[in-house]
Amino acid sequence: MKSRIPSGLPWVLPALLILVTLSIYPMIYSVKVSITDASGAFTLANFIRLFQDRLFGAAAVQTTVLTLVALVIEFVLGLALAVLIDSLARARSVFRAGLLVPMLLPPVVAAVAWRLIYNPQFGVLNGTLRRIGVNTAPLTWTSGENSALLSVILVDVWEWTPFLFLLLSAGLQAIPPEPIEAARIDGAGAWRIFRDVTLPLLKPTVLLALLLRAMDLVRIFDQIFILTQGGPGTATETVSLYIYRTAFRFSNFGYAAAMSFVLLAATIVFSRGLMRLMRAR
Amino acid sequence: MALEIDGITKRFGSREAVSGVSLKAEDGEFVVLLGPSGCGKSTLLRMIAGLEMPDAGTLRLAGGDITHKEARDRDIAMVFQSYALYPHMTIAQNIGYPLRVRKRPPAEIAAEVRNVAGRLGLTNLLNNLPRQLSGGERQRVALARAIIRRPKAFLMDEPLSNLDARLRVEMRAELKHLQHELRIITIYVTHDQAEAMTLAHRIAIMRDGKIQQFDTPSTIYNRPANTFVAGFVGSPSMNLIEKSDEILGIRPEDVDVSTSEQPGWTPARVYVTEEMGNETIVVLKDAVLKADTQITTRMAAGSKLDFDTPVWYRFRPEKLHRFQKSTGARLSD
Amino acid sequence: MKTAFRYILACATLLIALAPVYWLVTISLKREVDQFTYPPEWIGFTTTFQHYASAFRNGSFAHYFTNSVLLAALSTLAALVFGVPAAYGLARFEWPGRWSENIGNWILSTRMLPPIVTIVPLFLMLREARLLNSLFGLAIVYTAFNLPFVVWMMRGFFDEVPREIEEAAMLDGETRVGALLRIVLPLVKPGLAATAVFCLVVAWNEFLFALILTQTESAMTLPVGIASRVTQYEIRWGEMSAAGVVAMLPVLVFATAAQKYLVRGLSLGAVKG
Repeated sequence: MKSRIPSGLPWVLPALLILVTLSIYPMIYSVKVSITDASGAFTLANFIRLFQDRLFGAAAVQTTVLTLVALVIEFVLGLALAVLIDSLARARSVFRAGLLVPMLLPPVVAAVAWRLIYNPQFGVLNGTLRRIGVNTAPLTWTSGENSALLSVILVDVWEWTPFLFLLLSAGLQAIPPEPIEAARIDGAGAWRIFRDVTLPLLKPTVLLALLLRAMDLVRIFDQIFILTQGGPGTATETVSLYIYRTAFRFSNFGYAAAMSFVLLAATIVFSRGLMRLMRAR
Repeated sequence: MALEIDGITKRFGSREAVSGVSLKAEDGEFVVLLGPSGCGKSTLLRMIAGLEMPDAGTLRLAGGDITHKEARDRDIAMVFQSYALYPHMTIAQNIGYPLRVRKRPPAEIAAEVRNVAGRLGLTNLLNNLPRQLSGGERQRVALARAIIRRPKAFLMDEPLSNLDARLRVEMRAELKHLQHELRIITIYVTHDQAEAMTLAHRIAIMRDGKIQQFDTPSTIYNRPANTFVAGFVGSPSMNLIEKSDEILGIRPEDVDVSTSEQPGWTPARVYVTEEMGNETIVVLKDAVLKADTQITTRMAAGSKLDFDTPVWYRFRPEKLHRFQKSTGARLSD
Repeated sequence: MKTAFRYILACATLLIALAPVYWLVTISLKREVDQFTYPPEWIGFTTTFQHYASAFRNGSFAHYFTNSVLLAALSTLAALVFGVPAAYGLARFEWPGRWSENIGNWILSTRMLPPIVTIVPLFLMLREARLLNSLFGLAIVYTAFNLPFVVWMMRGFFDEVPREIEEAAMLDGETRVGALLRIVLPLVKPGLAATAVFCLVVAWNEFLFALILTQTESAMTLPVGIASRVTQYEIRWGEMSAAGVVAMLPVLVFATAAQKYLVRGLSLGAVKG
């Protein structure tokens, strides 16, 4: 009599239990928290408030802007770097090791470094610029309302372009050389080969890289916390920072939970869409 | 439109993969580069293609020097062992790519693609992707892509080795016919001597980066230049028997065997027989010769000879080859 | 000529990548008066180790450091202890239908959860269990964090080991567990090492959960310790950067060693390379 229980189950069970307890259960608990009020009754007040909350809307906009801008810049730079380093005959591994450093640091440390660098009066960035004659008065970086978001984006670009570089580099190396050689013989020049053969074959890696990075960008927290704490004002307050403030400064767990869910839903929708794109071809 | 290869050398580190190779292929000729793995034939082909650059020597095609020209400027087409089709493009796009790169008008490209596809029986597959095609079909697509622009030369790197045996024989015949029609000079690399013998006008046998002999198939078969060539071409291979001062060579079909004693023939014993259906391969051992010398002979089908049966054999004198013992080079007859 | 240009470009990019880190190191070694001079000094300044001393010998950073080390080690160990058998179970046994793929995907998707979604309830849960502000509580959370990674990575490595090897061992009398321990694990040692390094780095760098779940001095990790100082009014940059430098050293050492496997883990094995 064959047992209906898969024989591998005991191996997997402990891990599954841990995950269920610490990932699934909290999520369910979270749902409960978001739809109950102080007395324990069912209420949709949190979600209703969400739609009317201008601060949340602003946070959502800022998160989207940050995600898209950072993603595009990191992708283009990462691809350019991958092609560049790939084309070098020697010292490739040295360059690669060095380029990975920004990505490996604790994000907190990277943020501390950049906070130092960005200081408008004493930071080395403005210091160096002043030295070569640039007027640094209007360059307020993270202290200025209009420049703060961009400054944060720049830090993320510095920190995470290596990630895209690494992924795209691996993708490039996985492309078989024969179609490229055939294109050379067929008469195509370097740019043509890149456009007609390399890029199309790189598509799955590209989509994967974009997906992974977008997931992380949407929930960005560490760097902003250190660099600007969401300020000046709310100029760099992304959704995760707003949720943090709501939950742990104002102790409004229900509302925070509701917001988390909207964030999760958005993440799932976006990733599904991207994954479908990945499978299409 | 001849192809002249003069003193071509290629080094990888301290090893010379191709050593001072020279040969001239005439217009419309089918030349096969034949040899075992690592003999340098593929490297030589890639240098002709422009995918590698030689360290010394010159290459001339139709009178022009192409030694250091970029692959795309050589007007040469190549068929790869793995076909190297563009996986994300349709068959029609694959075939038409060389013309698209040369910026020919789309209508002209479409017409040429249809033309060439029809010639190779690919018309129904034009909208498919490479991964939907069988090995033989992909191979024909690779061929179509090569012939569509009427290059000055064709290069083929073991194009048939990924096909199963029967398909290989079929494609061999098609290739030969195609080349004859197009009359474009073709350099073909293979390690399969049967392929070389059936396809080539002339064969260049290579070993360790050097050409051992460059001749027509029949000359190579009947007057091999050294023991390597002698043993490489012909199946089963030529018997090479060491004597005190020279090496004798005799092909299995040129050994006469009899189960009854014949005047002047040498005695031996049957070591093993292999019934092939159309003939029997009988391997003999002669106690007088060096210990493990085996003599392979061909006999009529159905020759039932048990192990250790005593037989008598002789080498047909007019078919005997003699080679120098130290170098393996052919001794003049 | 084009080659030279490419190398120059690559060097320039390398400089951009490393300059901020270098600057941080210089700040940690400069006397306070030299830290914000104009023009900025990149080399040739007087070095001092006072910041390191005040942060670690006199200050609490040594304590944070120890906390981080313990936390990283514990959670990595736990993640491996639970994750490796799970990966093995998924890779080696017969599963009905598409369970194996589905469980795998499901485990993977927990990685995609924005931490902020689970942090509120986790905070509440840990508070109830009185595990807030304890390394143990945080270690449990980190283990759950790293489990999907471990399962995904190790499964890929297990898939590469041919089944026949264990089958031969079991015919020779070995048990399943024995086969895993004595035959298969030694074969995937490099993969195991890389996975461990991964988990260590993730645990070491983690900030959000540590921030929220440990608020007392005794339980703080290095990142949280650094952050808590930076948000104060009077920031002692010397100490900050010294702490930062120390915080980043272990990671750099480890990660460079496991460089080859970085891609695989980061892309969750999806890119073959």
